[in-house]
Amino acid sequence: MKHATALLVSVFMAATAGAQEDQFSTVITPAFSPITWERLVDARNEPNNWLMYSGTLDSQRYSLLDSINTDNISQLEMKWAYQIPVIDRAETVPLVVDGIMFITEAPSNVVAVDARTGREYWRYDHEMPDDLRICCGRNNRGVAILGETLFMSTLDAHLVAIDARTGNLLWETEVAPHDSGYSKTAAPLIVKDKVVTGIAGGEFGIRGFIDAYDPASGEREWRTYVIPGPGEFGNDTWSDDSWKTGGAATWITGSYDADLNQIYWGTGNPGPDWNGDVRLGDNLYSDSVVALDGDSGEIVWHFQFTPHDVHDYDSIQVPILADIEFKGRQRQVMMWANRNGFYYTLDRSNGEFLIGKPYAAQTWAQGLDPVTGRPIRVPGMAPTYEGIMVSPPIVGATNWYSPGYSQDTGLFYVTSFDGEQEFFKRDEDYEEGERFTGGGGRYTSPMDAFHSSIRAINPETAEIEWEFPIMPRSSAGITTTAGGLVFTGSADGYFFALDASSGEELWNISLGRRVHAAPMTFAVDGEQFVSIASGNVVYTFGLRD
Amino acid sequence: MIIHLGRLKPNLRWLAISMVVLGFSDHPSSLLFQSAQAEDAGNLYNTAVDIRMGNRYFERQCSRCHGFDAKGNDETGAPNLTGRLRRASSDAGIFNIIREGVPGTAMLPVAADVPDATVWQLVAYINSLRYDPLSVELAGDAETGDRLFNGKADCSGCHMVNGRGGRLGPDLSRIGENKTPEDLLLSLMDPDQEVAPRWWTVRAAGADGVIREGFRMNEDSFSLRIMDTDSNLWSFQKRELENYERLEKSTMPSYAESLSDGELDDLVAYLFSLRREVLPQ
Repeated sequence: MKHATALLVSVFMAATAGAQEDQFSTVITPAFSPITWERLVDARNEPNNWLMYSGTLDSQRYSLLDSINTDNISQLEMKWAYQIPVIDRAETVPLVVDGIMFITEAPSNVVAVDARTGREYWRYDHEMPDDLRICCGRNNRGVAILGETLFMSTLDAHLVAIDARTGNLLWETEVAPHDSGYSKTAAPLIVKDKVVTGIAGGEFGIRGFIDAYDPASGEREWRTYVIPGPGEFGNDTWSDDSWKTGGAATWITGSYDADLNQIYWGTGNPGPDWNGDVRLGDNLYSDSVVALDGDSGEIVWHFQFTPHDVHDYDSIQVPILADIEFKGRQRQVMMWANRNGFYYTLDRSNGEFLIGKPYAAQTWAQGLDPVTGRPIRVPGMAPTYEGIMVSPPIVGATNWYSPGYSQDTGLFYVTSFDGEQEFFKRDEDYEEGERFTGGGGRYTSPMDAFHSSIRAINPETAEIEWEFPIMPRSSAGITTTAGGLVFTGSADGYFFALDASSGEELWNISLGRRVHAAPMTFAVDGEQFVSIASGNVVYTFGLRD
Repeated sequence: MIIHLGRLKPNLRWLAISMVVLGFSDHPSSLLFQSAQAEDAGNLYNTAVDIRMGNRYFERQCSRCHGFDAKGNDETGAPNLTGRLRRASSDAGIFNIIREGVPGTAMLPVAADVPDATVWQLVAYINSLRYDPLSVELAGDAETGDRLFNGKADCSGCHMVNGRGGRLGPDLSRIGENKTPEDLLLSLMDPDQEVAPRWWTVRAAGADGVIREGFRMNEDSFSLRIMDTDSNLWSFQKRELENYERLEKSTMPSYAESLSDGELDDLVAYLFSLRREVLPQ
């Protein structure tokens, strides 16, 4: 009987195989080919893949795919969903490489799935200690890829290298001691033959830095502290020994310009966040963008958005790079909508301030110095023991959520929030591994009472060209396409598409849980898809067949 | 101590908070709790200094999610800790949540090297945020307040209590758990002072030209849902509306003039009594 069953199965398989051969007249290529540095530099020209956190090294999040466009967006439908097994808040931006999607999960895991179906190839579960020091939930935002290796930050402040074909661990390096308050959540950035990565822990009195690692061995190639040590330029912008515990975490992925050979990276708040009395001075290079030499990691220039910050206005936004016409002249610019409520256009070759204006409600500064871009503070807006109302609130006018840029419209798109909050100051002594924030904040109105919107900003004038209201607010990133679309989401669980030129609503779907990640788009076998994480699920959409 | 609520006294909150009664233990051996799991033998760390230390630790370690005022955060999902706690009904229960976290949520355990004493101080602080209702005596009479609620003041025309009453205001069956007597009095005298978004009013002009008005049950970026005064439920896509406006005020009248001081006291006493049964510790 057993023998007869086996025979039947083999006959059936032979028949099925024959049917498959008839169905596919061309040779089927296996998924995944190695990613060279040249492919990363030219990532925009293989738009079927999403090869790094921000899509391309200039971080525009602008895809040349246009088969989903303003004319057919109403035909968008869900194709598959991947449920993340560990319940937490998904902030992942998946990568897609030749038909394989790499999704990171809370707390620091990776799963590789078939990008067409969402079905699993392999998964990597990171072993984690039980004494993590993390400020804001168990998050991971994505991986980087070079060759056949994925690189991921982990919550215990390690960097791991994972075989992209099997999920096997290749090496693991401790970037910093997690029990001192260091952690890692952001996707690394590949720069030539190095893995460049930042550090989190700005609420724990760490000293921020940016590192580069050898992708083959995991050996550290260089480290650049973004708080200068004694004898270095800027150390005197910290009173006494406050530089040692000054924060300036580098907790979001930066950008790279291959022509200028410069790495651009944002830095976080000085610590303690809300009590500046113990760290008098400008506190360089907190709340800044630093430009690093692409080979040595040395700081080439810096621009500090918020000197001596006392409101937790991290400048960890993703730098968007573009070459645009600015006042009749072609300029290599960097676009930046800051958590402090101001939008900036800088010359990225040297850090020169070109223009800047408020793009969201703010009450802490009268404006920016027209020459230097330095904020002109409103007196008396620092946190107090009793509490003082300031706008933007701690969560910021925007935050870490990726902005976008469209090469078709020339507009910069950002998720913005017009809120306010009472800020409090507290006296705290630094203790290694403990929170070191010096205060906090309190809302006095319900979230629904505030205004939020997706805003499109002209980088030449810093003026808002259009805005699309959302409520209560959004913590989602933005992706633009050559199909004339802006994709983003909202805290109330919508994923939606707007017309990139006008801001007109074109399509939306309720996914039921907060969208707290940026969308990405890719194609398999010539069919375009767009993916977004919402709640604990990664959803993928495509056009109706 | 008796609290007279006829007209609000500025120092009332202090009086009320000073009356917090914490779970005293008569078992000194509870000091020896060093294990991760605490049993309910009460909290020995409950002096005013402990509460202050707990407050300091809370502001530093917990306020990022739960808020500086411990009132929670809808976005992070961190609950309000100033009212009745959903997951813990005893000191030991609170201790265990702080020590072990809540699986499947963003509530992580405190670091293993944080001493138990610190966790108990945190428990004392969290307890200090709430009234022990059994310790509060009010000047008003709850039974008289009940009659007012259902009679002269006609509160039941709009509010439900235990399944009876109207739908045009919040269900008050457990209002005493999360509101202080002074909060309740303020709401009666000045209903507009704090109106939850659920009870804002929306006027929506539909594509059919009909204007519908009702309570803003829910609103998001693309749609809104209302209940009109006939308890009809309506759902609208915003893009299909000609226009809509929102009134962030209460539909409840003020009782500052229509009820006497004594009647207000009685009504507050009744409302404050609306809670699940509380067993003495």
